[in-house]
Amino acid sequence: MNPLIELTDVAKTFGQGADAVHAFGPVDLTIDDGDFISFLGPSGCGKSTLMLMVAGLLERTSGQIVLGGQPVDGPRTDIGIMFQDNTLVPWRTVRGNIELQLEMRGIDPTSAADRITVLLQSVHLQDFADRFPYELSGGMQQRAAFCQAMVHDPQIMLLDEPLGKLDAMTREQIRTDLQTLWMQQKPTVIFVTHSIEEAVQLSSRVAIITPRPGRVEKIIPIDLPFPRDFEVKNSPEFASYVRDIQEIFRGYGVI
Amino acid sequence: MYVTFRRYSAAMASSKKTSFGVRVLTWIERSWMFIVFFIGFFLVWEWSVTLFDIPRYILTPPSLVVEKGWADLDRLLYYTYITGSETVIGYVAAVVIGLPLGLAIAFSSILRRTVYPFFVCIEMVPKIAFAPLFISWLGFGLLPKVIIVFLVCFFPIVLNAILAFNSLSEELTRFCRSTGAGPVLSFIKVRLPAAMPQCFVGFKYGAINATVGAAIAEFIGSDQGLGFYIQIVTGNMRPDLAFAGIFFLTLLGLALFGIVTLAERMLIPWHISVRRNKT
Ligand SMILES: Nc1ncnc2c1ncn2[C@@H]1O[C@H](COP(=O)(O)OP(=O)(O)O)[C@@H](O)[C@H]1O
Ligand SMILES: [Mg+2]
Repeated sequence: MNPLIELTDVAKTFGQGADAVHAFGPVDLTIDDGDFISFLGPSGCGKSTLMLMVAGLLERTSGQIVLGGQPVDGPRTDIGIMFQDNTLVPWRTVRGNIELQLEMRGIDPTSAADRITVLLQSVHLQDFADRFPYELSGGMQQRAAFCQAMVHDPQIMLLDEPLGKLDAMTREQIRTDLQTLWMQQKPTVIFVTHSIEEAVQLSSRVAIITPRPGRVEKIIPIDLPFPRDFEVKNSPEFASYVRDIQEIFRGYGVI
Repeated sequence: MYVTFRRYSAAMASSKKTSFGVRVLTWIERSWMFIVFFIGFFLVWEWSVTLFDIPRYILTPPSLVVEKGWADLDRLLYYTYITGSETVIGYVAAVVIGLPLGLAIAFSSILRRTVYPFFVCIEMVPKIAFAPLFISWLGFGLLPKVIIVFLVCFFPIVLNAILAFNSLSEELTRFCRSTGAGPVLSFIKVRLPAAMPQCFVGFKYGAINATVGAAIAEFIGSDQGLGFYIQIVTGNMRPDLAFAGIFFLTLLGLALFGIVTLAERMLIPWHISVRRNKT
């Protein structure tokens, strides 16, 4: 495995002087090609901050980030990002929103029509391509946002709590879809979440992030077979991973 | 009968192509209470003038307003045209100057630190208080009225435009940057459409102000227009004609507001405020 993303001594402080908020770091972290790594931690610990710094959308206060062999200075366009609040625009249909990603990149969306159709099918939205976001449920909106983030076929995906606001059943469905997709295409995924189960189910490794200022204290490889279906989820090994991580957060006084 | 009608209109309303007649029926069905109240208001007015024996030079019944207004229709229509011109020219000027200026202020940190606070201060001044000054500077003609209409429309338009172009969500800003799109492309594809709803708040507010500005400007100094007309006939103890003038002034305001609302529906049919009114 070769390292695809390398963080060295990365830290972030918002503001200056007395009002300064030390949000994150310093952190060292290496993410391999094809990894599915979760950033797991309580809200406010700096998960989004870290993800945005990796994407080059937020200036870091110190440290170095190298992504795909090149240092991150400014926004990176060779990745797919799903932001914490979805970026579907209300004046475009689902398909139009997906095309927006391409149009912004100067790509003619008609050339990608088939790809969009396939992408919509893969998240079961093919019948809603011509609907507007307000006509969709929360879960469908997240699926549409996923397509929007992935239509330019990035090899690195950053997903910021993509399932955060969904009900338990919808979450379960989308997790399965996401896992299938990852197993088929093997992109490198950074998955931000505050759900221990979700992190254990989806990840090849879980980065445990401490309460603010966030630090990566431990990285736990999840040594369970994929796909992590119903069987695996009910196995004692799965339960013991969940329990161990709960123990860690209990130690931080978070739960 | 009511139930059948309701079902019929609901079925027709849900099919895509609703004829004009059906739409009127649906509207009547939904608004009949208001219509009854509206008619009732005028009936009470009509009767109470007779019942309480109110002198005609104080208040006239609506029937007389219609009758006398009809007799003076030529003058009323001509004055509507005059006041309408002042209103429309002033309003359009406010939009044409206010929108790009709002955009410039939103994106220029120098303008935001100089012109913007200045505008916020001026917004506190009742613009109509400048009316006598403009009339004394520029005389009785069209120009001072247009300027006053412009002033009362301009500030809501420009301030809402600044707000509109400044309030793109952080996520969408980041989305734009993450695609590598340049400022022009981001503006056309995301910033501009996202700003439209808030811009229309200003456009509508301006449209409401416009006729008020025109009428008051005419009260202060003019020799034609509906404001002039209302003032003269009131002086002549003719409330019937005053009401006729008010009626046409109202029509003018409604027409302007209607056109702006129509433009809003066509330009941002996706926005919640438009959608909510449709259902
Ligand atoms: N723009 C900002 N200015 C000041 N503080 C911020 C800003 N953005 C985030 N923070 C702070 O940084 C910390 C981490 O935020 P965030 O990365 O959003 O956490 P998470 O995604 O883990 O919930 C929080 O305490 C938050 O208050
Ligand atoms: Mg977050």
